[in-house]
Formats: sequence, structure tokens, C-alpha cells
Amino acid sequence: MLVTTAEIESVVLDAVRNLNLARPADAQMDASPEAPLFGPDSPLDSLGLVSLLIDIEEALSDRGFDVTLGDAKAMSRSASPFRSVPVLVAYIHNSLSTT
Amino acid sequence: MTDVRHILITGASRGIGAHLVRHYLAQDAAVIGCARGAPPLEHERYAHVQVDITDEAAIQAMFADIRRRVGRLDVLINNAGIAAMNPVALTPGASARDVMSTNFLGTFFMTRAAVRLLRHSKAGRIVNFTSVAAPFRLEGEAVYAASKSAVETFTRIVAREVSPFGITCNAVGPSPIKTRLTAGVPPATIERLIARQAIPRWADLDDVTNVVDFFLQPASAMITGQIVYLGGAG
Repeated sequence: MLVTTAEIESVVLDAVRNLNLARPADAQMDASPEAPLFGPDSPLDSLGLVSLLIDIEEALSDRGFDVTLGDAKAMSRSASPFRSVPVLVAYIHNSLSTT
Repeated sequence: MTDVRHILITGASRGIGAHLVRHYLAQDAAVIGCARGAPPLEHERYAHVQVDITDEAAIQAMFADIRRRVGRLDVLINNAGIAAMNPVALTPGASARDVMSTNFLGTFFMTRAAVRLLRHSKAGRIVNFTSVAAPFRLEGEAVYAASKSAVETFTRIVAREVSPFGITCNAVGPSPIKTRLTAGVPPATIERLIARQAIPRWADLDDVTNVVDFFLQPASAMITGQIVYLGGAG
């Protein structure tokens, strides 16, 4: 079973929208396909990133795709795979394609 | 049903774990027990999962099932543990690996998975199990005590990482209790250990329950990263 980038993008954006439900009005995340996620252009802190990655992992698991997003390589990369929606989507797609 | 506290207890088949199962069922909690062995009882609010906590994939599958069927968790009690008494020079590698796997890695696998559900609880609680063997630096228990020292450091750091989710993480360190874990220890060794305690007597199961109850109280929301030993050890 293969997962498309469109499906992954849908999961990621749903997770961002879900995260926004618990965030104050002045700290809402941009839930668009080109949005920044984690870094200077985003209000997401490290705790928020952990919550977001957990939600994405669980949503993918519910669809039958098991992926670990916070592995040591991802966390230590100088160019974070979590910096924007399209980069994260590509990272997840690549992870699922190589497992 | 939403007010029912959902508690997951490892090592639930016997000893302290089985006692905790009975204790929290009597307090109207919904309890999931897991162990390699059989369930300690049958009860309408008790579900048992036969699983080896050192099996990472099996633990992930168990939590995926809990998430789908129950959808919540309020308390994780990492009680499961094994001991191996042996001088270091005579300890087989396989024995050391088993002790570290069950006592530390098992606690880690369970905690990592549980945090995902506990973060949705109003008062998430993690209670780990250490032992007076760690602060007493007992000869003949180097690997066991080291595994419990790992649990203690893990407890203190997890407490910091999960506090933004409203979860506390603490550990209880029982002094000797008459369970299967201590049954294989020579009586003279146990007596020497007990003599070093500020309160030099055997503990009983309710002494442990009392500390766990304290960590689980809603009023204990400011208690985290703490290690409480029975008998005044440490």
C-alpha cells in the first residue's frame, strides 16, 4: 500500500488545524500547504512541535502507516525536516518509501 | 463514564502489581493490567493484556489498541521489574541485559507510548518503580541497582519534559516486601538490608500503595520528579 503526498499533506494540515484548537487566537498556525511549521517564521514552540508530530504519527498509524518522525537523524539535521509543511510532507513520504 | 479514572499497571499478574490492580478497582477506576502472565482477577472494569514490556512493537500495538478502544489514559504505573542477585564478576551478560531491558527499557517503552494519551488527561500521572537497592549501593545487586538508578534519572528528566502537558512523573522505592522478587534472596541478606533502614522492618503492600496514592492525588499536581523510598532509605 502506497501513500501519496496529497494524503500526507492532508494529514499534516489536519494536525495543524487540530493543534490550533488548543492555541490562543494570537498564536494560530498557518494551515496552508506552503506554511512554515517550526522556526523563526512560526509561533510553534518545541512543545507544540512534539504535540504536532505525535498527532501526525497517530493519524498515519490509523491509516496503516507507521513512521517515527522524531528519530535521531531528523532531530540532528541542520536543515530541519520540520521547518515547513512541504518539507515535512516530503520527509514523511521519503521515510515511508524507504521503510 | 468520563469521570472514571483510567489506570494502566505493568507487572499486574502478581505481587505489588496485582495488589495495585485490586486497590484501584476498589476505588472505582478502570484498570488495564499488562504482564507476561495471566490476569490476577476477573472484573468488569479490568482488562488484561498479556505482553512483554521489552517488546517495543508489542507495546506500540497495545497502546494503539487502547487509543482506539478506550481513547484515554490518566495514570501509568510502571511496576514491572525483575531482579538478579549476583556478584558482578559472576553475572552473565544475558542476565544483565534482561534486567536492564525489563527495568529500564520497559519503563521507557511504556512511558513514551503513554505520554501520547496522558497529555489529553486533566491530571496525567506516571509512577515509576525504583528500589532501596539503588541508594544503599548493595553489593551483589550492581546490575539491578544500576537499572533502578537509570529509572530514577529517567523519572527526573521525564518530569521536566512532560510537565507542560500537565503530567507528573515520580518514583516510589520500596524497601523489602515479602513478594516473589525477594523470595529468592537469602534471609540474612535481607535482614542486613532492613537493618540499614531508618525504620528497620519489612514493608507491606499497603506501604507502597500509600505512596502511589499520594502521587495520584489531584492535590499532588506540584509533586514531580521525586523519588520516595520506604523505610527511610536514601
